[in-house]
Amino acid sequence: MARSWTNCEGLTRRDGLKLGLGGLIAGGLTGALASRARGAAATDAKRRPAEADACILVWQDGGPSHYETFDPKPDAPVEIRGSYQPIATQTPGVQFAQPMKKLAAISNDLAIVRSIRHDQGNHGAGNHYMMTGAPPRIPVGCGAFVSFHPSLGSVVAKEIGAPHGIPAYFSLPRMSRSGGPNFLGSKYAPFVVPDSPNSSSFRVRDVTIPSGLTDDRFASRQQIRKHIDTMLRFNDASVADPTLAVDEFYGQGMQIISSKEAQDAFDIHQEADEVRDAYGRNTFGQQALLARRLVGAGVPFVTLYHGGWDHHTDIFKALDSKLPPFEATIAALISDLKQQGMLERTLVVVLGEFGRTPKINTRGGRDHWSNAMSVMFAGGKTPGGQVVGATDRQGYAAIERVLSPENFVSTIYQKLGIDPGQMMYTPEGRPTHLVSDATPIAELMG
Amino acid sequence: MPDRLDPRLSIRHVVVSVLLTIALQSVTSAGDAVSFELDVQPILAAHGCNAGACHGKQRGQNGFQLSLLGFDSDFDHDAIARQARGRRLSIAAPESSLLVQKATAEVPHGGGRKIVVGSDAYQTLVTWIRQGAPRRLADEPVLESVQLQQTEFALAPSESAALTTIAHYSDGTTRDVTGMTSYLSNEAAIVQVDSAGRLTAGPVPGETAVMARYMNHICVANVSIPRTEALPEGFYDDLPRANFIDDLVYDKLNQLRIRVSDPAGDAVFLRRVYTDVIGRLPTPEEAMQFLDSQDSEKRAALVDRLLDQPEYIDHWANQWADLLRPNPYRVGIKAVLNYDNWIRQQFRENVSHDEFARRLITAKGSTWHNGATTLFRDRRSPDEVATLVSQLFLGVRLDCAKCHHHPFEKWSQHDFYSFAAFFGKVGRKGTGLSPPISGGEEIVYVSTKGDVRHPVTEEVLAPAPLFGDVDLSADDDPREALVDWMVSPENDYFAKVHVNRVWAQLMGRGIVDPVDDLRSTNPPSNPALLDALANHFQQSGYDQKDLIKTIVLSNVYSTSSTPNETNTGDRLNYSRHYRHRLRAEVLAEAVAGVTETTESFSALAPESRSNQVWTHRIGSVFLDTFGRPDPNQDPPCERVADSSVTQTLHLMNSRELDRRVRSDDGRAARLAAGKQSAAEVVTELYQAVFSRRPTAQEQQYCETQITSAGENRRGAIEDLMWAMMNAPEFVIQN
Repeated sequence: MARSWTNCEGLTRRDGLKLGLGGLIAGGLTGALASRARGAAATDAKRRPAEADACILVWQDGGPSHYETFDPKPDAPVEIRGSYQPIATQTPGVQFAQPMKKLAAISNDLAIVRSIRHDQGNHGAGNHYMMTGAPPRIPVGCGAFVSFHPSLGSVVAKEIGAPHGIPAYFSLPRMSRSGGPNFLGSKYAPFVVPDSPNSSSFRVRDVTIPSGLTDDRFASRQQIRKHIDTMLRFNDASVADPTLAVDEFYGQGMQIISSKEAQDAFDIHQEADEVRDAYGRNTFGQQALLARRLVGAGVPFVTLYHGGWDHHTDIFKALDSKLPPFEATIAALISDLKQQGMLERTLVVVLGEFGRTPKINTRGGRDHWSNAMSVMFAGGKTPGGQVVGATDRQGYAAIERVLSPENFVSTIYQKLGIDPGQMMYTPEGRPTHLVSDATPIAELMG
Repeated sequence: MPDRLDPRLSIRHVVVSVLLTIALQSVTSAGDAVSFELDVQPILAAHGCNAGACHGKQRGQNGFQLSLLGFDSDFDHDAIARQARGRRLSIAAPESSLLVQKATAEVPHGGGRKIVVGSDAYQTLVTWIRQGAPRRLADEPVLESVQLQQTEFALAPSESAALTTIAHYSDGTTRDVTGMTSYLSNEAAIVQVDSAGRLTAGPVPGETAVMARYMNHICVANVSIPRTEALPEGFYDDLPRANFIDDLVYDKLNQLRIRVSDPAGDAVFLRRVYTDVIGRLPTPEEAMQFLDSQDSEKRAALVDRLLDQPEYIDHWANQWADLLRPNPYRVGIKAVLNYDNWIRQQFRENVSHDEFARRLITAKGSTWHNGATTLFRDRRSPDEVATLVSQLFLGVRLDCAKCHHHPFEKWSQHDFYSFAAFFGKVGRKGTGLSPPISGGEEIVYVSTKGDVRHPVTEEVLAPAPLFGDVDLSADDDPREALVDWMVSPENDYFAKVHVNRVWAQLMGRGIVDPVDDLRSTNPPSNPALLDALANHFQQSGYDQKDLIKTIVLSNVYSTSSTPNETNTGDRLNYSRHYRHRLRAEVLAEAVAGVTETTESFSALAPESRSNQVWTHRIGSVFLDTFGRPDPNQDPPCERVADSSVTQTLHLMNSRELDRRVRSDDGRAARLAAGKQSAAEVVTELYQAVFSRRPTAQEQQYCETQITSAGENRRGAIEDLMWAMMNAPEFVIQN
C-alpha cells in the first residue's frame, strides 16, 4: 500500500525525513539522539516504565518439544504422550515433563506460556519469526539464515545500549540465525564470543590488550595513531562517509579497554568455584554464568545459543542426556540471579522456533510443529507460578489464549521499556512498525 | 462505480469521469452488473485483503485463502463463493454475508475494519452478491493494460504532483483506477506517494521510481528532483573525457545540476586499482615505480599489468565463488572443492563470460571430474536451477513466481516453470546427497525424458525462455538452446547483469541496486550508461578484462571521494567516488602484505592467500569479523560491508594480529634488523600500509619515533605499523 509519512504516532513528514536522512544514514549521533527524544515524546502516552533492564534469551535451536518440557499430555495415547511421565511442580496443579526436575522445583518463579503458535514450520522461517516478531517476507527454506527485520537483541542494543563502550548485545557462542540487525546496521550486530568459558585459559576475545603488551606501550601506540591518522573526514551525514563509523567504533573499543567495569565483566575467573559448579562445569553452564556477569555490568541483551533440538529421530534417547544438564543450568541461572538480587530486573526467556509434532514418527522422533510451543519466562517482574494459555487435550494446537510471535516479542520489548508499536525508519527513510501487533502478553506484565 | 460500463467514457473524459463517478456513486448503482474480476477483485486488492500478510499468504488466514494480490480469479471466486460450504456469501441477504461483515468488522475480523458500511466498495460488494455472485458477466471484457498518464516527473523540492492511473479493457473502454491502485516509492525519503497517487517530493534533490500496481499490471513513474541552482555555464563542456562512460555520467550529472568532484591523485588511483582489480595492496616497490613514473600512459600500462597478474584470477574467482559455492557438509567436500577449482580455472583460462555461462549451465559428467556439474548436485530440481541461473546470469529474480505471480513483475508461474523446463532433462546417477558427509560421486547427464509441470494445472510445459524464442531442435540437451538464447545479442539481460555486477564492484554501487535485480520497478540510475556498458561488453565478445579496463580508465573511476557543495547527497550518480571498507579477503591480504606474514588456513596449502579459501567453512576469525558470508547460511548470502566495533577490537587487540605485527619473520623485524635509515623505514611503511609517500610532517614525526627509541628500534617500528593499521586510512578505500 502507499507509504505515507503521517502515521499513528503523530510523527510529521518532516520528522520522518530528518530521521531518514540526517539520523540513520550514517548513524549520525545527533540525529539518532534527536529521533529517540522525539520518538519518546510522541509515544509517552503508550510507554510504560521498564520492568527489566536486561534480557537473557536462551535459544534452543531446532525447536524443542513442548511435550517433553513444559506441556506434558499424560492422557494422550502413547504414540503422542511419549515415554516421559509428568511430574508435579512447586506450583499446585502445574505439571512439567519428567526430566524438568530442577525447574519444577522453582516453578513459582516461572511463567510458562503454552499457547504461542505461528505458521512457519521450517527452521529458517521459524527462527526469523520468533527472533524478530516478523514473519519472513518471502518464503524461505529450512536451511535458510535470513534477516528481513531487526532482531530482539539488535533493537535492544540500539534502544538501550550499554555503558563503558561494552557491546550491548552478546551472542554466545555464535549468532542465532535471524539474530542480526538488518537495517539498523552492523553496529547493532551481536558481539559473538565463540570460545568456551569453561576452558581454563578462557578470555573474551579481542576485548583486552594482547598479553605481552604493557599498558604504557599500548598508551603510546594510541598517541602515535592520533598523529598518523590524517585522512580527511566528511562530516555531512548525507555523504555517508564510512570513516565516521570507524571513528565511532574506535572510541567504543578504547572505552572497553580502559574501563575496569568492562574488564571485570569479561573475567569469569573471578567467580567462586561453588558458583561455577552450580551452573555446571560445561560450556553452556559457564556461558550462562558469563551472561549473568555481562548483565551485571549493564549489558541489556544476551543470547545463549544452544543447538541440537531438532529431534526427528530417537527423541527420548537424545533428551535423556540433553535435558537434565540444560534445565539444571537454567535453574541455576534463575536461582543465582535471585540470590544476587538481579532477578527482579532481569528477564530470562527460554524457547526455540517451534514445538514438535504430536505423533511420534516411525524413527522415534518428532517433527516440526508450529501450531503449539511452550515458552518459559522468569524474572523482570513476571508473575511466577503461572501457566498462560493451553493446548488441546493432545497437544496439537494452542486453543486457549492463543498468542502470536508478535505478542511474544512485544512482551520482551515492553518489559524492557521499549515501545513495540513504535515506527522505525530504514536508512532509506522507509517507515516500518517495530512489531505489527504491539500487544504484549498481559499475564506476564508485572 | 463501474464507469467502464458508461459508453461515453474514454480517456478523454477522465476529468469528467472523476466528477461523474462521485456523483453517480453517491446515488445507487444497483442497476449495473458487477463483474467479479473487474470490480470486486480490485476492491480486495486495494484494501489489502489478498496481500501477502493477510489472506494472500500461502495458507491463507484463518482458513480463508485468496491468491496473492488476486492473480488467480478462478481460485479466488471459488474461495469466496464456494468454499466453506458457501457460508461466506448470502445471496438472499447480501449485507449479512460473512465476506461483507468481516470486511466491515461487524463480526470480529483479525484484519480490522477494511471497508466502511455504505462506501462505494461496500455497495459494489453487496450489489455483486445480490446479483448472484457470478464469476463472469456475459460479454465481459478483459483488463488489457494499465498505464500512468504521465511517467516522467521533474519536481521541485517539496512539490506535489498527482499520478493518474488508467485501466484499458478489451472492449476499448477505459477506467480511471487511480484510487484503487497501490503505489510504492522506491525511496520514500526522496518522493512520497499516498494511496490516492499523490506524489510529494522530499526536501532534498534526488531521484527515484514509483511503482503503481493495479491487479497484475505494473507501471513505473520516474521522479527526479534536480538541484535548483544552475551549474556554471559550460562546466561539463570543458571537462576532459576518457571514454563513453564519462560522457554518459556527465550527461546525467548535468541534468541534475551536480558538479563532479575533482580528479583523485595518482596515489589514490593506485590503491584503488590494486585493491579493486587484484584484491591486494601494492608493495612499496610497485607503489614507487608507479608514483615516480613520468609516463603519460602509466595508468593504462598499470591496468594492463594488473590484469595479467595471477592474483586477478583468485580475486575475481572468489567473487563467483561467493555466488555459487554450496555448503560442503550438504553437497560433499570433493564436489565443492572441484567446483571451486573449476571456477578458478575459468579465470585462469580467461574464458569469456558467455563461455563461462555455457560451460556451467550445460555441464555434464562426474562431480569428481568436472567441477561445474556440482551446480546440479547442489540444485537438484529444475526449479532450483532455474532460480539460480536466472538471477545470476539474467538478473531476473524468479523465486516469487515459483509459488505465485510475481508481485512486482510480469512473471507468472507459467513463465517460471516453462523456464525451469530447460532443466527437465538433467539426469543424475550415482550417489546423491547424504548430509553431513555427502561424499559420493554423481554423474550429470542428458536424459531422454523429464517433464516439468505447472504446479497448479499440472500441465506439462515445454521449455520456453522468458521472452523471445529458442530453437530446441538443434541439440538433444535443451540447456544448449537456453544458453544460445541467453547469450544472443537480442538478450541484453545477460550482458547487463554482468556489467552491473562488475561496475558495482569497482564503483561501490550498482547502476541497478541490488545488482542482480533488473526489473522495470527497480530502474537503473543511469539507463543510458547501463545500455552502453552492456553493448560494449557484447561487442567485446563478453571480455571481462576489457570491461574492467574500460571502467577503471574512465575519468569517472578516478574521481576524488571529496564532495563539493553540489554533490554531498549524491549516492547514485557517481559524481564522487564512494568510499567503502575493503572487503574481508582484501583486508586480510593487506595485513599479510604489510606484516610480511601469512594466516594459516586449514585445508589449504601453506602460504595460501585468503581469497584462495575454497569454502567459508574453513575457519578464520578475521574473515568472519570483516563480514565474509556467514558459513552457516545455505547457500551463503550476502557479505557485510559495514564496519563494526568488533572489527576495531580485532585490529586493535587480536592475539593473532599482535603475533603477526611482532613476528620475528615479519616486516617490522626485518626493517629493525636492516641497514635502512629511519627515514627509509618510514617511507617504506607508508608505501606498504597507505600506498603513498608520507608528507614532510608525517615523515618527521615518524622518524623521531624511531630515532628516539634508540635500542628499541624494532618496538618503535612495530608500534608505527600497529598505529597505521588501526587508522581508517588502512581499512577504507578512499
